[in-house]
Amino acid sequence: MPLDKVTQVAQTKPWHGSIPVYGQYTFGIAGERFFRDIKDKGRIMGAKCAECNLVYVPPRIYCERCFGELAKWLEIPNRGVVHTFTVAHADLDGNRLEEPIVVALVKFDGVYGGLVHRLGEVEPDKVTIGMAVEMMLKPKAKRTGSILDIDYFKPIRA
Amino acid sequence: MRKVAVVGAGMTKFMRRAQETGKELAWETAKMALDSCELTIKDVDCVVMGTAPDAFDMIHMKSEYLSDGAGAWRKPYMRGFLGGGTGVFTANQAWYHVASGLFDVCLAITEEKMSSCLPHPQGAFVTCWDQFTESPLGTSLLWFFAWEMNRYMTAHGITEREIALVSVKNKKNALDHPCAQLSADITVDDVMGSEMMAWPVKRLDVSPTSDGAVALVFAAEDVAKRITDRPVWVQGVGWCVDTMYIGQRDLYYPKYVEYAARMAYDMAGIKEPRKEIDIAEPYDPFSYKELHNAEGLLLCDKGEAARLLVDGETQRTGRQPWCPSGGALGVGNAIAATGMMKVAELFWQLRGEAGKRQVPGKPRRGVAQAWGDEMQVGTVIVLGV
Repeated sequence: MPLDKVTQVAQTKPWHGSIPVYGQYTFGIAGERFFRDIKDKGRIMGAKCAECNLVYVPPRIYCERCFGELAKWLEIPNRGVVHTFTVAHADLDGNRLEEPIVVALVKFDGVYGGLVHRLGEVEPDKVTIGMAVEMMLKPKAKRTGSILDIDYFKPIRA
Repeated sequence: MRKVAVVGAGMTKFMRRAQETGKELAWETAKMALDSCELTIKDVDCVVMGTAPDAFDMIHMKSEYLSDGAGAWRKPYMRGFLGGGTGVFTANQAWYHVASGLFDVCLAITEEKMSSCLPHPQGAFVTCWDQFTESPLGTSLLWFFAWEMNRYMTAHGITEREIALVSVKNKKNALDHPCAQLSADITVDDVMGSEMMAWPVKRLDVSPTSDGAVALVFAAEDVAKRITDRPVWVQGVGWCVDTMYIGQRDLYYPKYVEYAARMAYDMAGIKEPRKEIDIAEPYDPFSYKELHNAEGLLLCDKGEAARLLVDGETQRTGRQPWCPSGGALGVGNAIAATGMMKVAELFWQLRGEAGKRQVPGKPRRGVAQAWGDEMQVGTVIVLGV
């Protein structure tokens, strides 16, 4: 069997193509409410499972553990802590970013889950796990009903 | 359930871009596996195909596309899919096709042709995160690994330099693998000095993208004993998924790998995996993942894997070699095919056919594991002689 026959891969004849479809996906029952609350009221909501005593963020309409329906929603504080983070130096295609960006998983007190988002107003080498951060929203007029309505999270100065 | 053995194996050379189509890779590896045990496609009762996201090959429903190369013509055929966990899961599927009594001989094939996806297969991942809370941020696959690696290092006080040793070990082991894509003799300083991708992940902490295929032949006990004097028995299988929400997982420890391992160990009658397993092939798409997964496989205490590595216990000549093949970091990461490459490595090692890679001391039992999906699946198989 040939294990070594390709020596000049650039000269192999390829066909070119793409998969010609595009997407339009509903936010869903929970997503619609979650993003409308961020856009219109500037607040993060979670959904509570009383049976399992868990508050889901992002909210769901069901509990993945007991499979019950989640009807009770509550507001989550806009302050959380950095659970983990990375400093990204390359974009999705591997090109170098002009400025590295910090992206973190932010967790909230009493919440099962959390949000991944950018950190702002902080130097990458100053970020630490456990750092307290708060949500910074875009101005209301610029919000579109997206997770990017949250501009970033920034450290809370002691 | 019936006893099932692996009786044959085949593997193509892993490379950045193979001239062969996916079908041709599938046919080459299937033919090698069948030739290795002197069977023909007529002896095969059913075929299972493992291959990761369609977008890698840029062919939708690619298992159907691959079916003729896989030898599925007019046979029962199905695809298994658990993302990065697919390669080991496909072996598990082959096992239950035969163990159930439905089929005597099952051909299991894994294929990946990632070079088709441009500009980089990473782009295919952008559409598999949560569309509303994760993808809009431009979330990259590397971020997920970096988040987990950071959490793992922080929880146990493990350093980047210790983790870099995984790349050094595995790329060196791969020097002895005839199908390896990225074998190399490098140092910890080379890893530390390589391009920063997403701190703490550096380029040499990351496995390459690859084209390649691996196949195994599974047979029921009575058939296996007719085919070969040296069957390698499937002693246990396991798989498990955790929540797909990153914020809801214990990033420092893969609990779902532990559950999958416990399922396989219970089936195999293994009480003390540290003593009863001779070789391990934990999935190592990123350097820290070998350590992370080895802990999930209960091969050491939580946080202890780096110490075993530094002490040399996981070298090919150590107490319990991890990734003697060279792993995804050295052999290459043709996703589904790499998972099955790890099972094939156990097959060759346990038969004493691993050539320059042969682990000394006649190993009698090994565990292989794959991981991935949405970073929340563990798939495990135990083979023994």
